[in-house]
Amino acid sequence: MDSSESPTETKKTKSKTPRKNKETVLKQKSPAEFFAENKNIAGFDNPGKSLYTTVRELVENSLDSAESISELPVVEITIEEIKKSKFNSMIGLIDCERVDAELYDDYETEKAREKRLAKEARAQEIQAKNAALGKKVKETPASKGIRGRGEASFYRVICKDNGKGMPHDDILNMFGRVLSGTKYGLKQTRGKFGLGAKMALIWSKMSTGLPIEISSSMRNQSYMSFCRLDIDIHKNIPHVHVHEKRENKERWRGAEIQVVIEGNWTTYRSKILHYMRQMAVITPYAQFLFKFVSDAPEKNVTIRFSRRTDVMPPVPLETKHHPSSVDLLLIKRLIAETSKQNLLQFLQHEFVNISKSHAERLIGEMGPDFSPKMALKSLTPQQLVRIHQLFRQAKFDDPNGHCLSPAGEYNLRLGIIKELHPDMVATYSGSAQVFEGHPFIVEAGVSIGGKNVKQGLNIFRFANRIPLLFEQGADVVTRTALKRINWSSYKINQLQDKIGIFVSIVSTKIPFKGTGKEYIGDDITEIASAVKYSIKQCCVQLKSKIVKKMQAREQQERKRNLSKYIPDATGAVYNVLKDMAETQLHASKKFRYGDDDGELLRKVYENLITKETLSEKLAKHVEQVDYEMALEYATQSGVSEEPRETIYIKPLETENKIIDLHSPFFVFRMFH
Amino acid sequence: MAESSKKRRRTNTDDLPFKNKLKPDSTILQILKDFSTSSSSSSSSSKALTLQDLSLPFSCREVSDLSLSSVQSIIESLVLRIAHSILSGNGFAFDVPSRSATNQFYVPELDRIVLKDKSSLRPFANISTVRKSAITARILQLVHQLCIKGIHVTKRDLFYTDVKLFQDQIQSDTVLDDVSCMLGCTRSSLNVVAAEKGVVVGRLIFSDNGDMIDCTKMGMGGKAIPPNIDRVGDMQSDALFILLVEKDAAYMRLAEDRFYNRFPCIIVTAKGQPDVATRLFLKKMKMELKLPVLALVDSDPYGLKILSVYGCGSKNMSYDSANLTTPDIKWLGVRPSDLDKYKIPEQCRLPMTEQDIKTGKDLLEEDFVKKNPGWVEELTLMVKTKQKAEIQALSTFGFQYLSEVYLPLKLQQKDWL
Repeated sequence: MDSSESPTETKKTKSKTPRKNKETVLKQKSPAEFFAENKNIAGFDNPGKSLYTTVRELVENSLDSAESISELPVVEITIEEIKKSKFNSMIGLIDCERVDAELYDDYETEKAREKRLAKEARAQEIQAKNAALGKKVKETPASKGIRGRGEASFYRVICKDNGKGMPHDDILNMFGRVLSGTKYGLKQTRGKFGLGAKMALIWSKMSTGLPIEISSSMRNQSYMSFCRLDIDIHKNIPHVHVHEKRENKERWRGAEIQVVIEGNWTTYRSKILHYMRQMAVITPYAQFLFKFVSDAPEKNVTIRFSRRTDVMPPVPLETKHHPSSVDLLLIKRLIAETSKQNLLQFLQHEFVNISKSHAERLIGEMGPDFSPKMALKSLTPQQLVRIHQLFRQAKFDDPNGHCLSPAGEYNLRLGIIKELHPDMVATYSGSAQVFEGHPFIVEAGVSIGGKNVKQGLNIFRFANRIPLLFEQGADVVTRTALKRINWSSYKINQLQDKIGIFVSIVSTKIPFKGTGKEYIGDDITEIASAVKYSIKQCCVQLKSKIVKKMQAREQQERKRNLSKYIPDATGAVYNVLKDMAETQLHASKKFRYGDDDGELLRKVYENLITKETLSEKLAKHVEQVDYEMALEYATQSGVSEEPRETIYIKPLETENKIIDLHSPFFVFRMFH
Repeated sequence: MAESSKKRRRTNTDDLPFKNKLKPDSTILQILKDFSTSSSSSSSSSKALTLQDLSLPFSCREVSDLSLSSVQSIIESLVLRIAHSILSGNGFAFDVPSRSATNQFYVPELDRIVLKDKSSLRPFANISTVRKSAITARILQLVHQLCIKGIHVTKRDLFYTDVKLFQDQIQSDTVLDDVSCMLGCTRSSLNVVAAEKGVVVGRLIFSDNGDMIDCTKMGMGGKAIPPNIDRVGDMQSDALFILLVEKDAAYMRLAEDRFYNRFPCIIVTAKGQPDVATRLFLKKMKMELKLPVLALVDSDPYGLKILSVYGCGSKNMSYDSANLTTPDIKWLGVRPSDLDKYKIPEQCRLPMTEQDIKTGKDLLEEDFVKKNPGWVEELTLMVKTKQKAEIQALSTFGFQYLSEVYLPLKLQQKDWL
């Protein structure tokens, strides 16, 4: 730009087109390009989060794949740290030594160096002094080398499952084309945008340039598909390196995906582990093996989340739209896609909760221009608007929840017990409810105590059976638990007790808020009240347990608590008596008291009745009452209320020498 | 007519709003004199009703002032009964009147809250009452000592005699009220008093423990109201009315401006919720001097609540409402309707919180509000506009607006409910 331009002009031109000599070109963007530029939408905000999102997308794909063929999922996730030199050799780049040191961001100038050395010397001096004084010397952390921007860390993420696998020819499009997928129907799905592994591929292309590797085999396939590909972001088409059939000797079935990406394990380690743990809670029928491998053995992590049940929730069914949930565009699309010819059939078959007679009534209501037999193709845009308006205003039955697949109260409970080992747990599963024509089911669990649980409220959120970890603050579950539940009325201490709150919401459409789809808004009253109700139901169950526990504790401590106050009470009574006895002596002529009372005061005066006498008598009474109450408690509640611990007896390893003693009613077996 | 007031006043206050509506002080004084005589004659003509005069469908519990010796003998017979009970192996229990909200009843004929006669047993050998019965026994013993020695202590003193048992002062205070209710005497008869809280200034002369006090010569802060009313006697006054002020700040303004010299009056405040001593003192003034009582409180639900405590009694002390309540208190200001009438600017009004609105609506359900249609109207207006204002909102027009314009104008217009 010309520098001699006046400042005002510069401002103007800058705001419009920075380069005026170049013509503005109308460009088109492929979906892949769009997501590459807006990767934060899909959860790839920074390297750390990208690593996390890659893991979760792969895990969720694997679960979907296994569940779709009703196979109990087995998922293995491995994250391998790759050193820079190893990474360079992988891509065939020779390590370059720095020649011109001043070129780099982390170059230390002479001045900075002097400063640092002086500081280190001072620190050493202080340490020496401390050591001389015999103080405990704190190990000063080795001065960290300043980490430059170029120091990226790379990871290979491998996810292996026992799922359905992929048809040999579809693999290319399943990975190499954004916004093409199998999960676009109206049903409860785990995925958010249908991006899944594709976004991981785009990220790997952006950060490392390395292709993705897929091995897959389906049932009854004699071979194994192997494919190495990356994506042409501009054209949104797959770019295939290798696509071949290989021998499958072990008759292995499933899929294995390998991708090398830039990431940050240090900052997202806890998030990834939390994710795995919460996933294990909500899918206790799956088995997960999580491994982190690096050159430093002390950093390695291996966690196995074992399977605890083989009851799997049913596969969610694809459902038809509910009339009150459709918009104008959707009506047009449904008309374009349907095989039905006339309006009556269209209404009757393409929507839920419209019967034939109902459809006829609706058409009658639409106006004189409409008739049941009119061809769909002949509908004018105005008429479509009319249909849409009627759908909005008319009353329809709520959709039922049959198409949904909640985790199930049993599974949720198992998951909580398996991963948290709480002292107490209560779960509740609500019935299907509706917001804006979409059915949803809320399930909740509340636990008290457990290992690795912090004091206070620990909130675990699940939407369509995947954990939500980010943006907890504004979420409907968090808000409800914090603001709308009066914990103390359920004898739960919100600050002291270790409370776990688990809420799982499933729906054909989860009303996510925010670009990252990380939380559910608090503004939908139907969901908010369902969440509140479910949590409350759990609390009601817990309350009776807690009260019973408290009663049992009270039983044990009653005598002690009562006896604690005996000295206070008898001391007070005795002191009054003593004062009275003394004044009576001084004014002995005036007899204010009756025979009994006079006698009592005389005894007090002569030390025949002392504080100890009173205490003894009161203690005896307390004992008597305690005994009676204990008896009453026992008759009311049975001998033992505590649930019995389950004990598993291992079969004996040695050869069993047994003697069976038979009687008409039982067999008594003795082991030697 | 405006000129005469102009002559008296400093010129810089002339431009105060509504100032020109004020009539000369002499006119206002005449209005007040008429009001004072009419109210004193009306109050003297009708003899005060008592509970016995009414035939209520249930029996009520009321306490009376008792002499030290009779309190002592009541405690002694109670303790003897307990001692016998313990020695015969039956433990012991107190029969304590219930002071819960369900046991309260507003009697419109008396215009105060009374306590019904429901009571609950407080046995020692029960986990939920053991603490309270131990504390009750201890308080009885402490009061017994006070009776023998014939001295007064404060509630705080009482608490500190056995901190380990009482744990916090609320517990000993509550049991103290229970004890006075149980023994059937006023709390003052137990020789336990609260710390001084209320203050009085103005045209009042009375004797405190034998010393004559002239409340016009007590400086700006005024005279602290003695915690035990039996010290107070020989009340004399040439005031035309008693002005009850909710807050310290407004009280200070009036005291400093010597409002009581312009319009002869007695100014009283308890700095918020009134304590027993201030209520007793007000009652005594009203009964002996036969003066009308005008109240200046905030325009919010709590202002009205404080007014109601002076007038009808608090639920906590309803057993002694006969001694503590002052009938026929007029609500002078600041009333919700004043906000518009005196054009209080928007920025000085505060929006009511959810809690405020709820309190306001609850008050509308209370009998002592319902009996006064004017109050209902004002409170309804407050809840409707959802605005509140403090007395200090009047300071927008200058710090002295309260004493220079607002109050004189209110008095002139006889604008009280």
